[in-house]
Amino acid sequence: HPWETVTTAAMQKYPNPMNPSVVGVDVLDRHVDPSGKLHSHRLLSTEWGIPSIVKSLIGTCRTKTYVQEHSVVDPVTKTMELKSSNISFTNLVSVDERLVYKPHPHEPDKTILTQEAIISVKGVSLSSYLEGLMANTISSNANKGREALEWVINRLNAEIEELAASARGTMRNSMAAAAFVEK
Amino acid sequence: MNSVGEACTELKRDYDQCFNRWFAEKFLKGESAGDPCGQLFKRYQLCVQKAIKEKDIPIEGLEFMGPRKGKTENSS
Repeated sequence: HPWETVTTAAMQKYPNPMNPSVVGVDVLDRHVDPSGKLHSHRLLSTEWGIPSIVKSLIGTCRTKTYVQEHSVVDPVTKTMELKSSNISFTNLVSVDERLVYKPHPHEPDKTILTQEAIISVKGVSLSSYLEGLMANTISSNANKGREALEWVINRLNAEIEELAASARGTMRNSMAAAAFVEK
Repeated sequence: MNSVGEACTELKRDYDQCFNRWFAEKFLKGESAGDPCGQLFKRYQLCVQKAIKEKDIPIEGLEFMGPRKGKTENSS
């Protein structure tokens, strides 16, 4: 899909069926900088489906985990960069992700996504095992991310189709009415 | 999609609709001047800030956060 389509979809990525754990998205700050780039600072709330017995022990308001995301969209160079990091459990683990969307250099109707993640687990002797586990999850999630955007793009196209179809219907009705009046 | 503050979800939806339209139809086409969503954003923001404080979500380094725990004051 062309870069504009992917970028628009990325801005509206949630909710989507591939990321059911994301339950809330909020914009904390948004502005266009002097060079024309759009900066957005967002807060994502996730709910991991913790078993109810655990919830009753720790209290339900503490089952949400939060991620903060900073994105920059440059419409001139056609680059969208997203950086996100967890703000919950930072005493245990840090997951920093960076995604960059750019138009494909040779095929203008395609977009290239580069994705990297840095995971560090703090003060736990199983660190290399856990890091390996998380790296696997994150790389399989990268595919999920692509599927998620595909889903959003299809949804947006369906909405546009619906609008166009109802506009066509309205136009036909008004043309028929105008023709009737003319006679 | 809901907001972190349940009361803010309506405000968020109104703002999101405005923003998504502006983003696709103006910003990406190089017309970033003008911000039709400013008012909606302000109202939505006030609600979100309140919710974040109430839920004690640890967000750092954002300008809108007022003085916390006796640290230096915001300049605005």
